[in-house]
Amino acid sequence: MIRRLALEKRPDPSPRLLYLLSALAIGIGLLLGAIPLWWMGTPPWEAYHEMVRGAFGSVYSLSETLVKATPLLLAGLGVGVAFRAAFWNIGAEGQLYMGAMGGTWVALTYPGLPAPLLQPLMIAAGCLAGAFWGLMPAVLRARWRVNEIITTLMCNYIAILWVDFLVYGPWKDPRAFGFPFTPPLPQTARLPSLPGSRVHLGLLLGLLVAAGLAVLLKRTRLGYEIRIIGLSPGAARYAGMNLGRTTSLVMALSGGLAALAGVCEVAGIQGQLRHGLSPGYGYTAIIVAWLARLDPWATIVVSVLLGGLLVGSDMLQIAMNLPVAGAYMLQGLILFSILGVEFLAGYRLVWRDAR
Amino acid sequence: MLARWLIAVVIAMLASACGAAGGTPEALKVGFIYVGPVGDYGWSYAHDQGRKYLETTFPDVKTTYVESVPEGADAERVLTQLARSGHKVIFATSYGYMDTVLKVAERFPDVVFLHCSGHKRRANMGTYFGRMYQASYLSGLIAGTMTQKKRIGYVAPIPIPEVIRITNAFVLGVRAVDPEVNVHTVWTNAWYDPATESEAANSLLDVGVDVIATQSDSPAPVQTAERRGAYGVGFNTDASKFAPTKHLTSAIWNWGPYYVEAVKQVRARTWKSTDEWWPIGTGIVGLSPLGPVVPDTLKTLVEQRTQDLIAGRFDVFWGPIKDQSGNLRIAAGEKPADEVLLGMNWFVEGVTGTLPK
Amino acid sequence: MALVPVLLEAAVRAGTPILLAALGELLAERAGVLNLGVEGMMLVGALAGFIVSQQSGGPWIGVLAAAIAGLMLSGVHAFLSVSLRANQVGSGLALAIFGMGLSGLFGKPFVGVPAEGFAPIAVPWLAEVPLLGRMFFQHDPLVYVAYLLVPSLWVLVYRTRLGLKVRAVGEHPRSADALGISVVVVRYSCVLAGGLMAGIGGAYLSLAYTQLWVDNMTAGRGWIALAMVIFGGWDPVRTALGAYLFGGVQALQLRLQAVGVTVPTYLLMMTPYAFTILALIAASASRARWRLGPPTALGTAYTRGE
Repeated sequence: MIRRLALEKRPDPSPRLLYLLSALAIGIGLLLGAIPLWWMGTPPWEAYHEMVRGAFGSVYSLSETLVKATPLLLAGLGVGVAFRAAFWNIGAEGQLYMGAMGGTWVALTYPGLPAPLLQPLMIAAGCLAGAFWGLMPAVLRARWRVNEIITTLMCNYIAILWVDFLVYGPWKDPRAFGFPFTPPLPQTARLPSLPGSRVHLGLLLGLLVAAGLAVLLKRTRLGYEIRIIGLSPGAARYAGMNLGRTTSLVMALSGGLAALAGVCEVAGIQGQLRHGLSPGYGYTAIIVAWLARLDPWATIVVSVLLGGLLVGSDMLQIAMNLPVAGAYMLQGLILFSILGVEFLAGYRLVWRDAR
Repeated sequence: MLARWLIAVVIAMLASACGAAGGTPEALKVGFIYVGPVGDYGWSYAHDQGRKYLETTFPDVKTTYVESVPEGADAERVLTQLARSGHKVIFATSYGYMDTVLKVAERFPDVVFLHCSGHKRRANMGTYFGRMYQASYLSGLIAGTMTQKKRIGYVAPIPIPEVIRITNAFVLGVRAVDPEVNVHTVWTNAWYDPATESEAANSLLDVGVDVIATQSDSPAPVQTAERRGAYGVGFNTDASKFAPTKHLTSAIWNWGPYYVEAVKQVRARTWKSTDEWWPIGTGIVGLSPLGPVVPDTLKTLVEQRTQDLIAGRFDVFWGPIKDQSGNLRIAAGEKPADEVLLGMNWFVEGVTGTLPK
Repeated sequence: MALVPVLLEAAVRAGTPILLAALGELLAERAGVLNLGVEGMMLVGALAGFIVSQQSGGPWIGVLAAAIAGLMLSGVHAFLSVSLRANQVGSGLALAIFGMGLSGLFGKPFVGVPAEGFAPIAVPWLAEVPLLGRMFFQHDPLVYVAYLLVPSLWVLVYRTRLGLKVRAVGEHPRSADALGISVVVVRYSCVLAGGLMAGIGGAYLSLAYTQLWVDNMTAGRGWIALAMVIFGGWDPVRTALGAYLFGGVQALQLRLQAVGVTVPTYLLMMTPYAFTILALIAASASRARWRLGPPTALGTAYTRGE
């Protein structure tokens, strides 16, 4: 009897296995990454040491990692909840910009308000703007079956160009010599931060949102609907759920969360709206959400780790004279490894009798 | 389970974090941050050439560069990391870094920060720039002479004052030679995107220009011009390799001597915070070697004008200068202060093209 | 005014790199594999094409090298997505990042180096046709390659057995498998073909549109190509229309500026994207008989026996 190797789906991968495999994935990624590093003449072990040091090795580094993780967390949560409902929201970047715009508008229009009033208003306005921006593709899909991948992607470009229009035009700081920034937001608009670091309220908001989402998904009716729609739209319809309405609600939430990331970036870090506010957080958030398997708690961990990877990559350039392209390659390889190892989580090799 | 894993990761991090950073205590560490990749063959590339010049001039100086640092949040972190890792001089090579550099400079008073093209300073932060508009003017003299159709095309990246100023200088040079020439401008709205820049050049050639000048980062417009039989004027770096027969000149940067001078001053402890805006005579800006089609008479003219600029007998924006609508912006005999030049947001007469609103 | 002919000519020129990459992606997606790494594949293609062409003096060898480079990079995605059943969104994104890094790294010595590249070739006889000749038949050879690819792919997808197999795999891999079609082989082939075409699309940028290499010179065209596949409803002809339309709007914006028309730049730059959405709505809302939806199994991995 001939036996051959076959793939069999693992019935129920244990969480421990999953996390073990994640660690293994990172390990493999680092090993793969060592190849280009070594080829470029950079000693890999030292490089990784610098990377970790740059990301977590001091209070300052850790704070910077958290700063980087905050928009990833918020946007990642937003993307995650949409993906849960099988709505492929590629538009987090645009929703982020809309949120930043909404918050800035409030701060520029009502600069005299005291902080406890101004900041919640900014957040509300930003989230509304993002919710609207996320709602549009949802309505288009519900009403006219327009594919959401493309609408959300197109909306990104439109939102970014809209912000460009504002910062080059009506909102441009008259004292900025024509450069594309708004005037700096008043101090009252700046989110409070931990003394001595840039870690700001946004992180706390992110943690709260994660907790809220976890509860929403597991313990509320809406969450139940979301999960069913994501797993099987047919079953959802059969059960009498209103897909269009629920999906729209989900996208409003998703857009609102990505927008919150935008408000926090403006009010917590940058202090003004500008061209190029986000270096692709909305897209990185997709990677975050997917790596976290759409689980809100895991999103926290992943956003910190990914934030650390990005912050650590900067140290690679500084301490190891690695060109930025090397950092990109490393990031890509680590992601590949995580993806590849995923496979071990979902499947296992068994010996089967050949038929 | 999650907790256990988290603890394991944290332990690994802490274990790894122990350990000192390497580096010779003697060597002076100088840091550079670039807003784009060195491989843009344009703005950041030119700065990096300057950095390499610094390294070869002072072999005991160790330079570090970080590319593609977005302005804003990331810049603050990178600048801080550079300052924390022992760099004593840091060059920030883009206007958009300004407020960030200011902030970080406050926290590291023993590090000298030099911000390119900005206008805010501190005791330990100065600004530096080159009067590229002078070189641009000279290139305009050449373009204005060589054009036969009296129409020149200008590919411009993003409408910030610096770009507008340099464009204006070019046009002034063109019209100094021939007041009937019209310069058409097209904005690509990107610092570099060679394909779009090439298309912009095509669009200009299609309206009948016979010289293409560019201020975008890549030499694509000059290359396109050569292919279609038009003259080309490059920017940032020498574009002659891309247009061997029809290249007129390029207005180029030469940051090396400045970087050397700055480091020299810091080492000798004679550095003081100022706004340095180096003129053409220092070599920081200039024209690349003139192309084979440029006649000797023109070369002489350019030489003369260069000497005038160096000696201070003449400068580009001395009045009278009118804007596109015909209004007199700089009166006759007026020598505008640097502030006027730094905030320039209007086109001079002779430009067909608009400033995006 | 003579605007329209030059505009269409420019639309073709600007749309070609997007079209080449989009056609490749279309094939991959028809087989059910989503490859978001188009930008990365175009970049490595652009670099590989440039390097080989510059070193050897021949642009066509460069195109071959670009195709191989794109193919190899897409091979990683194929392996991860098809054999390892990895999440296709993640794999594609990782590929894009990796491609950016790979091309940036190996491209360093070639920045600022000129190469011969392609020169426009006039198609004999067709180029003489008044108006149309100038617009469509005086381009770089790769434009003609794209012209030929569109109907070829159309025929392949809709009229050949191979195309039927591809579509079957993309719609319902289980049934295809039961019919004896090898899902693995079909998917691998389509993804690799997609990478090949994306590589050629990249080479167009560095050898035809311009003849140089700078970091990240695709400037986002890979992402646009992805959008064009969806815009075109996974149909080669409509994808071509979309790509040329997109190129056309960009060209229009530049030409309006060149003649001094006051252009509200940012608002005008939004038009291609807004237009894409509107066109999609119109197509979806109409009772067009075209197949509008994506291949049913797009983005999902397939394993026999589950």
